[in-house]
Amino acid sequence: MARARNRMAGMISVFGELLITAGLVLGLFVVYSLWWTNVLADRAADKDGAQVRDQWADQGPGALDTKDGIGFLHVPAMQNGEVLVKRGTGTDVLNHGVAGYYTDPIKSALPQDQQGNFTLAAHRDGHGAKFHNIHKLKTGDSIVFETKDTWYVYKVYKTLPETTKYNVDVLQPVPRESGRTKPGRYITLTTCTPVYTSDYRYIVWGELERAEKVDRDRTPPAELR
Amino acid sequence: MYGWIWRHLPGNAWVRALLSIVLVLAVVYVLFQYVFPWAEPLLPFNDVTVDGQ
Repeated sequence: MARARNRMAGMISVFGELLITAGLVLGLFVVYSLWWTNVLADRAADKDGAQVRDQWADQGPGALDTKDGIGFLHVPAMQNGEVLVKRGTGTDVLNHGVAGYYTDPIKSALPQDQQGNFTLAAHRDGHGAKFHNIHKLKTGDSIVFETKDTWYVYKVYKTLPETTKYNVDVLQPVPRESGRTKPGRYITLTTCTPVYTSDYRYIVWGELERAEKVDRDRTPPAELR
Repeated sequence: MYGWIWRHLPGNAWVRALLSIVLVLAVVYVLFQYVFPWAEPLLPFNDVTVDGQ
């Protein structure tokens, strides 16, 4: 009788320890997602970003190598410095602390194109969380994209705080859902929402206001000073 | 379970404590390095693109 009771107590205590362990592992997973992936991603992005800047500084001949990224996105309202932009929106790209431009389902235009929509995605949380503060962007805020020789200054004209992931039309060359009906030079930022989940997508649309040549000292445009 | 591990660690209390810490760190390392990176894409917390998939 006493022995049976002992065995029972032993089983219950093992069960309890397993529950405590599961709780600790889940807690560690939160630490991993919200902190450690940022550490890794920022490290990777800093390295690639430095590589891009080095290449820009080298005045060597030949085509520009864009493997490490095509430029940097500066969004003062998001207060997160510069974000390296690379080609593609797969996790293999986005998990390295960068924003990616869409190649699929609708191919993004590039800022230098005479018309089209420059469409970008980045993480809201973890992996650098480059678009974490997307909700701070308001109509009239500037989005600046820096390439080797041009500053492209966009102004936000419309935000869409919640849409489904099936709404690929937000990426159209002329994003009609934003109210625009004529071809132009647009920029679209997409990320997940609400924060810490990805039930919906958050969209921000901007339109090119002007393009400035980069000078010798890379003096940033007024919006970034 | 943890009591069983403790009883089977060699040495006196200090050595056991030290070994316990090493074991905990090893588990955390394996989780961060292998288990979480594997599990993360399977969980619906970090899909940021509009792709209709």
